Amino acid sequence: MIEVKEIEKRYGRKKILKGVSFTAEKGEITCLIGINGVGKTTILKAIMALTPLHKGQILIDGKPIDKHSFEKITFIPDSLTMLPNMTINEAMEFMKDFYTCWNQKRANELLGFFRLEPSSRISSLSKGNTAKVNLLLGLALDVDYVLMDEPFSGIDMFSREEIANVFTSHLIENRGVIITTHEIGDIEHLLDKVVLLDDGLVTKEFSAEAARENEGKSVIDVMREVYQK
Amino acid sequence: MKKYLQLVNFEFNRIVKLFTVLLGITFVAQMIGVVVQSRSYLNLANEKMYKEMMPQAEFLESFGQMSFLQIAKSSWFFGPIALCVAGVAFYIFFIWYRDWIGKNTFIYRLLMLPTSRLNIFFAKITTILLMTFGFVAVQLIMIPIEIMVLKAMVPNEFRLDMGVMEVVTIIPELTLIFPSSFMQFIFHYGLGLLAVSVLFTGILFERSFKWKGILAGLLYGALAVVVLLLPLLLHEFVLNNFFYPIELLVLEIIMGLLVLSASIWVSGFLLKKKVTV
Repeated sequence: MIEVKEIEKRYGRKKILKGVSFTAEKGEITCLIGINGVGKTTILKAIMALTPLHKGQILIDGKPIDKHSFEKITFIPDSLTMLPNMTINEAMEFMKDFYTCWNQKRANELLGFFRLEPSSRISSLSKGNTAKVNLLLGLALDVDYVLMDEPFSGIDMFSREEIANVFTSHLIENRGVIITTHEIGDIEHLLDKVVLLDDGLVTKEFSAEAARENEGKSVIDVMREVYQK
Repeated sequence: MKKYLQLVNFEFNRIVKLFTVLLGITFVAQMIGVVVQSRSYLNLANEKMYKEMMPQAEFLESFGQMSFLQIAKSSWFFGPIALCVAGVAFYIFFIWYRDWIGKNTFIYRLLMLPTSRLNIFFAKITTILLMTFGFVAVQLIMIPIEIMVLKAMVPNEFRLDMGVMEVVTIIPELTLIFPSSFMQFIFHYGLGLLAVSVLFTGILFERSFKWKGILAGLLYGALAVVVLLLPLLLHEFVLNNFFYPIELLVLEIIMGLLVLSASIWVSGFLLKKKVTV
């Protein structure tokens, strides 16, 4: 389980996170929702120790993040984190060299799934294909948790569909996923848990299934209630 | 250790093109320098001896023999060395900033590798050292080749032959690159390593705290210089020449190690706890 406990973060004098707390379970898809600038990406970066926090604590399976945690959790940011002059093959080689949890079989499967050409140079890829390579490099790691920042942002409809299909496949099964997205419609039916953020705080944390079954509300209905109050 | 070596290999491969280009420029420019300087000397000799009928002995007395010193003092020789030095100096900064700038922010990947983040620091500093020693080593190989070309172009009687050791010990600028004793080597390259480690720490301060980080980096640099010079300052101004030279040297080595350790520790702390992407 990923536990985010009372985290606070300032950029200059502006307080972005004012004590955010939530949990994300393994085997569940947790979605962070909030308007631009609410600190969704900052939370993901903080989980990966890519930005320091002013207060609070983050635990992964009960322990603070350390170098070994990167074999257990991965972050797929909204931009590609590989050198542009590399080919997809070279990027995979790099991952294989550095991560013991790299799963080449799954990487090959993802190559086929996304119809990517391993010899393509990263700098020559379209935005959609770049996002797919990003997903490939993250999902081919045998990790327990995957953090995804806006995987659908600025991507054409067909690529969005392909990426959304990943969430229903075995590629995600049994893993804990935290995702931030604006395009909630693409994956609404797949979400297990939703964390609504506003003004640096969690305004509501709820089970998507419970909302559907008990109250007959979709995630978007709950969002409307919270944000348009 | 394995991850560190993999990172060094990876970092070095990233600069291998620039490194090869700079080496190529150095080789070509210095070779042109040998040819140009030798030909200009031979042209002068021809003009004086065949047009103005100056006897060979008088020519040699007036203009001297051609030696490698004339080549080594020309900008054909020093220009590319300066270019390589500038290249290394530029790359000390670029080796970090290239991972942050641009569309593909590679620093995410580096910081998320399942290895100590200090290995990134060590790999980058090792790359700078490899680059520097690479240039020095290739320059050492180039000099005898250039001497051979000089010998092939200028006849024996017009030439004052010099060995590689003579060349690198006579020219003061070259003694900086090729120290003549082990102590000098430790002094020159140790100081260089210290400077790079302090600069890296300064860069990481900037990457962690932005504008405030620049100030912190500058303060850290100033503090490092003061700590390094402390024995000399005390010796000179407070203790009235108290130390023997060997004691002073030992104290300086201790201070150098102290600054190096502090730079490594602070950089490790910044990379682990403060750096932001």
